[in-house]
Amino acid sequence: MSRKILRINMSDQSAVYEDIPEKWSKWAGRGLTSAIVLDEVEPTCHPLGPNNKLVIAPGWVSGTPAAPSSGRTSFGGKSPLTGTIKESNSGGLSSKKIAKLGLAAIILEGEPQNGEWYQLVITKDGVEFKDAPDLAGKGMYEVDEILWDQYPNKPAVIGIGPVGEKKLSNAGISVNDPEGKPGRYAGRGGLGAVMGARGVKAIVVDDEGGPGVDIADEDLLKQGRTKLRDAIMEHDLTKPDGGLNTYGTNVLMNIINEAGGLPTRNFSAGQFEGAADISGERVAEMVEKRGGEGMTGHGCHPGCIIQCSNIYPDEEGEAVVSVVEYETAWALGANCGIDDLDYVAEMTYQCNDLGLDTIEAGNTIAIAMEGGQIEFGDKEAALALFDEIREMSPLGRIYGQGVEATAKAFGVHRVPTVKGQSMPAYEPRAIKGIGVTYATSPMGADHTAGYTIAPEIAGVGGKVDPLDEEGKSDLSLTFQAATAFVDSTGYCLFIAFPILDISSGWEGMAESVAGVTGLDITGDDVIDVGKEILRMEREFNKKAGFTAQDDRLPEFMRYEKLPPHNEVWSMSDEELDQVYAWTNGK
Amino acid sequence: MITVDVTLYGDIAHFAGGSHVASQDVNLTEKATVGDLLQKLGISPDDRGYLFINAVLHDAPGLYASKDAALDDGDHIGIFSTTHMWPYQYRDGIHMSDQLQKAMKKHGSMQNVYGRTDKERR
Ligand code: SF4
Repeated sequence: MSRKILRINMSDQSAVYEDIPEKWSKWAGRGLTSAIVLDEVEPTCHPLGPNNKLVIAPGWVSGTPAAPSSGRTSFGGKSPLTGTIKESNSGGLSSKKIAKLGLAAIILEGEPQNGEWYQLVITKDGVEFKDAPDLAGKGMYEVDEILWDQYPNKPAVIGIGPVGEKKLSNAGISVNDPEGKPGRYAGRGGLGAVMGARGVKAIVVDDEGGPGVDIADEDLLKQGRTKLRDAIMEHDLTKPDGGLNTYGTNVLMNIINEAGGLPTRNFSAGQFEGAADISGERVAEMVEKRGGEGMTGHGCHPGCIIQCSNIYPDEEGEAVVSVVEYETAWALGANCGIDDLDYVAEMTYQCNDLGLDTIEAGNTIAIAMEGGQIEFGDKEAALALFDEIREMSPLGRIYGQGVEATAKAFGVHRVPTVKGQSMPAYEPRAIKGIGVTYATSPMGADHTAGYTIAPEIAGVGGKVDPLDEEGKSDLSLTFQAATAFVDSTGYCLFIAFPILDISSGWEGMAESVAGVTGLDITGDDVIDVGKEILRMEREFNKKAGFTAQDDRLPEFMRYEKLPPHNEVWSMSDEELDQVYAWTNGK
Repeated sequence: MITVDVTLYGDIAHFAGGSHVASQDVNLTEKATVGDLLQKLGISPDDRGYLFINAVLHDAPGLYASKDAALDDGDHIGIFSTTHMWPYQYRDGIHMSDQLQKAMKKHGSMQNVYGRTDKERR
């Protein structure tokens, strides 16, 4: 049975199952969401208007037996935050369940005429449209709890918080985690507002009795999976008790701080004196000391063998929130001058409940601080900003729009955004390679846009020396392409670490994709396939009006020196334009 | 005599009396090196990962390029355990010592760990 596209039209509350057309048949995950958005969404449409769509797609290997760490779901559409094409992906329960229903993608289009809120229930028997007046206005913790009460066999819940309902540009899409809490987010780019514009508050996905995923070549899948699993289990960073398992992604906080690349107090310095107090090491100490429900080495979906997530406990050992990860602790911590993990955890809870992306939210608070609304380091006042958002006061609505709107409201010109999206936790003046990716990614400033791969695999090893200033554009493109591929597999991006050092892991990833899909893909094809995805995304952006001038870092980084190294961003525009010169036939 | 300020991260923090992160002032003789410091702290080079002196990267897991790096009074040294990771794209373009650059040129600058995968250790 071939995979289906489930097209849900909210204008008349209809749902049809379509055979996946030939032109999309090879894609899954990010490749599929981007292909569909390019084909079906008018690039110049208003992101909140009736012509935008929300596309939801599991990866190639999602839903296959025991593929390691493969529970990622891609969400795509035109972003209200950036105006570009957007793919944002999330862990949680949804990916496997959508795949097991035999679906390649769900396309959510149209808008209800009556302004009502809906809850969609997707099962093997079809789609049920239920009025959801009782869910509207509620935070995601309550929504997830209500829906698990209603559906006892623990379905996936994809939902939006109050911020998505109000269609604010920093609205993320929540996916419930194995505990049934809104711990995982397709956060970046405001796709929660796109879902809100369709009138959908929540989507329940129950795969009970679903047809499952067809596998073209069981042996090849098995071979690939084994290689990949072995690489993950062997590598120092991803093995049990390795770096990610022990400290989560927040293992990076102290390292980046020691290097002088930790954006501090709205990107005005590269080191934060309180970094250790909000680091993964401190989270581990808190979990050990407080015990109870707290844990490190938590998996964000069943079947993850890396388990980089955590549950942060309060003083009584009761769970406050999952997950305090690096980007979150940095955005709500160092970047606001806040060195108290309890407050960081509480603000993370607020983000998860209201439906905000934590990176954009932390950057927004830092802008409010820069703009004189509150003081840097004032944790009580920072936490109180979330009340404004919850009340949807005029000021709260501005905060809910993210960094650029807030910066305009307060007359701030140190605005760390590219294409409207704020930067994550790596200072490009100190970590120059990532600046190239921030500037040129079709998604706006995004840290996951450019993941690293082994030079011999990338084919750049002989051509460029990564230690030299030259060659950064080639490298960035290769990273971006590899990332686009991994984002299409359904695998968590963190498999990138073992793949870098253990080349059989790289082959294993490609073989598992070939085994499931029957596509003729080996490790050598990964970069080319990734570039096809990037080409589609750049084409959409071009049609939406984006030019080379949008592939730039913010101006202040060219003239404000970043301590402690006192450096500015110095890469030339020509070098940046090199990254995507190939899409213009150059 | 010189005094340097050292922060240890990860399981090696117990060498400075902590569990996951700990700081300590260490007195050393003039012209002391990183090698001397590690010896004084009792940290085996095999248990040491990334190492910074004053925000400049001097070493990486599995290499020992910092051994002879001279320390000055008032230096800050950050030392990480071998479980600490730092993916290449998040360190591409940071400040590194000349010795480390040379070592990385030889062993491949994009690696996450150098000769420290379990396979090689076995
Ligand atoms: S490695 Fe972390 S983010 Fe990735 S799937 Fe596992 S728990 Fe989720």
